[in-house]
Amino acid sequence: MVEKKYKFISQPRHPSENRRFVAGRGNFVADIDRPNMLHVAPLSSHYPAAIINNIDISEAMMMDGVIDVITGAEIGAAIQPLMNGLDTPKVQRFPLAVNRVRYAGEWVCAVVAESRAIAEDALEKIIIDATPQPFVLDAEEALLPSSPPVHPEHGSNILLDRKFVWGTVGEDFVNAEHNLSFSVIWGRNSTVPIETFGVVAEWNGWDNILDVWASVQMPKYSDQIARCLNLPGNAVRVHYDVDVGGSYGVKRGIKHATLIGYIARKLGRPIRFIEDRLENMRAGDAHGPERKFNVEVAFESDGNVRSMRMRALDNAGAYAGRAPFQLGKPISAIVGPYQINSVSYHAISVTSNKTVQEAVRGFGQAPTNYAIETAMDRVASFLKMDRLALRQRNLIRSDQFPYLIPSGSTYDSGDYHAVIDKVLAAADYKTLLVKRDHLRDEGMMAGIGIAACLEPSGGNSSFEPLLNEANKTSTWMESCQINVDGLGHLTARIHTTSSGQGHETLVSTVLGEVLEIDPSNIRITRPNSLESLPGNSPVGSRMAIMLGGAAARSAEKLKAKLIKIAAHSLGIDAEKLTYAGGNVLAPDGRKHTWQDAVELAHRQFHNLPEGMDPGLAAFDIMQVPTGNALPVDGKVHMYPCYSFEFHLVLLAFDPVIGRPEIHSYTVGHDCGTVINPAIVSGMTYGGIAHGIGAALLEEFAYDPNGQLMTQSFLDYLMPSSHEVPPIQIVKHCTPSPHTVFGQKGSGESGYLGSPAAISSAINDAVSALDIRFEKLPIRMSAISDAIANKSA
Amino acid sequence: MNLNLTGTESIQTNPSRLWESVIDPAVLQRSIPGCVSMDELAPGEYTITLELKVAAVGGNFEGSVKLSEMNPPNSCLINVSGNGTLGVGKGTARVTITANEDDTARITYEADGEVSGLVAGVGQRVLMGVAKHLVRQFFTALKKEFEAN
Repeated sequence: MVEKKYKFISQPRHPSENRRFVAGRGNFVADIDRPNMLHVAPLSSHYPAAIINNIDISEAMMMDGVIDVITGAEIGAAIQPLMNGLDTPKVQRFPLAVNRVRYAGEWVCAVVAESRAIAEDALEKIIIDATPQPFVLDAEEALLPSSPPVHPEHGSNILLDRKFVWGTVGEDFVNAEHNLSFSVIWGRNSTVPIETFGVVAEWNGWDNILDVWASVQMPKYSDQIARCLNLPGNAVRVHYDVDVGGSYGVKRGIKHATLIGYIARKLGRPIRFIEDRLENMRAGDAHGPERKFNVEVAFESDGNVRSMRMRALDNAGAYAGRAPFQLGKPISAIVGPYQINSVSYHAISVTSNKTVQEAVRGFGQAPTNYAIETAMDRVASFLKMDRLALRQRNLIRSDQFPYLIPSGSTYDSGDYHAVIDKVLAAADYKTLLVKRDHLRDEGMMAGIGIAACLEPSGGNSSFEPLLNEANKTSTWMESCQINVDGLGHLTARIHTTSSGQGHETLVSTVLGEVLEIDPSNIRITRPNSLESLPGNSPVGSRMAIMLGGAAARSAEKLKAKLIKIAAHSLGIDAEKLTYAGGNVLAPDGRKHTWQDAVELAHRQFHNLPEGMDPGLAAFDIMQVPTGNALPVDGKVHMYPCYSFEFHLVLLAFDPVIGRPEIHSYTVGHDCGTVINPAIVSGMTYGGIAHGIGAALLEEFAYDPNGQLMTQSFLDYLMPSSHEVPPIQIVKHCTPSPHTVFGQKGSGESGYLGSPAAISSAINDAVSALDIRFEKLPIRMSAISDAIANKSA
Repeated sequence: MNLNLTGTESIQTNPSRLWESVIDPAVLQRSIPGCVSMDELAPGEYTITLELKVAAVGGNFEGSVKLSEMNPPNSCLINVSGNGTLGVGKGTARVTITANEDDTARITYEADGEVSGLVAGVGQRVLMGVAKHLVRQFFTALKKEFEAN
C-alpha cells in the first residue's frame, strides 16, 4: 500500500497538551480543593493473613479534628462488593478488609479528619486485635489443595483454570522432529506512576448526586461506583477534566472511589484521599502480573516451529482484580508474529496473600511475548541456528495477511521482514556483531538480544466472555461529539480522562484532517460522565483507533451536512460539489463558505434543506472494527489491529560486577499510520524504559513472612537516565485495513518487547558459561552470583 | 523479616546482683531504651509501652514481656511481643549469666526476632543496625546502674 499524504496526520506537530503541562498548569486531582473538605488516612494490616477480632477506635475518635473512623465491618454492610468479572461469587472484595485481612498492607479501617496529618496521628490510636492465620505466597503452592485458602468461603485458591487446545497439537508434537521444554518466570512488577492514585468525592443531598474527581484510567468507572454504592447510574458524576499523572493501566482506584464516595455520602462533606507512596506500593492494589510459564515447543531440524504448549500460572494476589483477564488478552497473539500451526494454552490464576493486581500496560502481553521469544532463542540454540535466521524463517510473510491464528484472531496486516531488514541496516548489525566480539575480547560479558513482538490493539474485551461464559459483552465502543458554535468555531467532546496519551491532540488532528481546518483552532473538552456518550476509556491500546475513529466519523457526518446545506443554497446536486478547506465549491466556481453554512445552520432555518435540523453538530458511537461475535469453541477474534516491533540490543557487563550496560538499542516499529509522531515516539521510548525496569530492576519482592520488601523507591528500583540508553527508533508503516486512516495502536509499544530482548542479550552474553537466566528481573546480583558460582 | 542478635557484655558486679537487676522492673524500665512504662502483671510477666525514635524508624509500641525457664542466678528465657503503628514483632532471648575471673559478671544473650508490618519493609536496611543500637543503649544504661551504686 502507498502511504497517503496527509495535511495534519503524521506531521510533526507539537501535542497541544504540552503547553499546559510544561507551564505547570495541568489540573490534577491534588489541585481539586473543595470547601470544607475532609481527609482520609487508611490503617494497614501488619499481617499477611489474620482474622480481625476487634477494632478499638474509641481513643482515635476522641482526638480533636477526627470526624469518623470507618471499619471494614461498617462498609461491608453498607455497600455492594466490588465488581469481579469472573464467576467466583465467594471471592468478595471490599475497600476495607471485612473480618479477615488477606495481605500485609491491606486497609483495615480509615480515619476521616480535618487534615491528613490529624488522620495519620489518629491511626496510632486505633487498636486492632487480630489473630494471624496461615498464609501462602507462592503460586505453585497456592495451587495445592493443602494450601491455606485466601478466601476460605471459595474453598480453594483457584480463580481460573482453563485449558484451550487450538489445532492439532498432539499430532504436531508427534510428527515434529524435535521438541524441547523450559520454564521462565515474569517477576511481579507494574507501572509505578509518580502521581499516586487520588480521589475527591462530594455528595450533594439536595440534588442527590455524587461528584467524583479522580486520577483514574478505567472503563465504566462511574457505573461501578454507582453499583457498589446502590445509587442510580445518573447519580454519580465523574469529572473527566482531571489530568492523570501517569497510569498505563494501573489507575483504576475503584476501591478508593467507593470508600471515599461512601464517606462523602455518609458525612455530607467533600472528602479527599490521595495515597502516599507506601500506601500506593503496598495497598494501592496496582501490582502487575507475576507469572510462571511452562513452555514446550515442537520443531523441525530446518527451524520451522510447528506447535507450542504453554502453561501460564499467574499469582493474582489476594483478590481477583483484573489479574485473571490478563491471561486472556495474550490469546489474541498467542503465536506472536510466527506461523505456528497449533497451540495449547493452560491459563491458571490463583489467589495468594500478596497485594492485588491491576491492569498493566499490555494486559499480560509483555510476559507472554517474553515466553514466546525465549522459546525462539531456545530452539535456535538447540539447533545451533542463528537466532535471527530462525525468526525470519518462522515469521508470517507480508503476502499471508489477513492471517488467522489458531486461537481465532486474524492479524490485519504487516511486513515483519521489511521492518527487521530496516532495523538491521539502521543498527548496522554486522558491525554490532564485531563490537560484541570486541567487548568479549576485552574481558567483558557481551550479548546481543533480539525480540520480535506484536501489540494487539483497538481494545475490545472479548477475553471476558472467553474466560467467563456468563459474560455476553461483544461491544467496547468509543464516542465523540462535535459542535460548531454560532461564530463558526469547532468544539469536540471526548468522554474519558487522559493520562498523557495526548487525546486532545489526537482528536483535533483527526478533525482537522477530515474537515481540512487548522487543528490548533479546535477546542477539545472533557466533560463529566453524565454529559458523555458511552465509552470505555483508553485501555487495550485503543484510542488512536477508537477515539480517532469516532472523531473522524463525526467529522464526516458534519462534512456531509455542510455539503447538503451548500447544495441547497447553491441549487446544485450534492454529488457535484467538492469540499475543500472547510468550504464547499461548485463546478461553476461559486463557493459556499464555512461561515455561510454557520449563518444558515444557526440563524436561517428557512434557508435550510427541508427536514434538516438546525445547528452544526454531530456525534458518533463507534463499535470496535471487526468485533462482532462472542467466542465459539474457545476461539474468538479479539483485536482489529496488530502493531509490530523488533528490538535489537547490544549490552555488556563486567563478569565480577554484573551490571548490564546497554551499548546500542534499536527498535523497529510499525503501528500503521501514525497520527502524531511525537506522541508515538514518546510511547515507544517510555515503553522501552519501562521494559528495562521489568527486565533488570523492578520487582515487588516479599520476604518469607509475607511482608513486601520493596515498597519505596529506595528498594523498588526504577530505571533512570543512567539505565536507559539513547534509543534509535526505525519507523515503518503498514496501514491497517480496518481503521479510518490505517492507524494501529501504540500505547504499549516498546514495553511489549524490550524485556524479552534484554533477557535475550544477557543470556547471549553468558551462553559460553552455560548459564541461563530464567526469571525477570535479572538483577545484577543474580548475574554476578551466577558467574561467581560457575567460576568457583 | 527476621532479626538475630547475639552478644556478650561484662558488667561490674557479681552474677547474683546482676540477676536481681535484670528481673527488676524498675531497673528494666530505666534501662530499656524508650520505655515509657512497665507494669508487672504477675511475677516475671509485664506489659510494656515503648516510644522509639531511631533514624527513620519511630513509633509507639505496646507489648508484653515474659520471663520463663528461670534458673537463678544463671539463666532465663525472655519472650517479648509487641504491637505498634509501624508493625508487630515477637522474639525470644536466651540470657545466660556467668562469673568472670576478675569478679565481674558476664551476660550472654542469643535473641531471635521476627518483625512484620511497615517497619519490616521500610526499615529493612536499618533495622539490624537499629536493633544493635538499642541493645547497646540498654547495656550502657544497665552498666550505669552499677556504676551509680
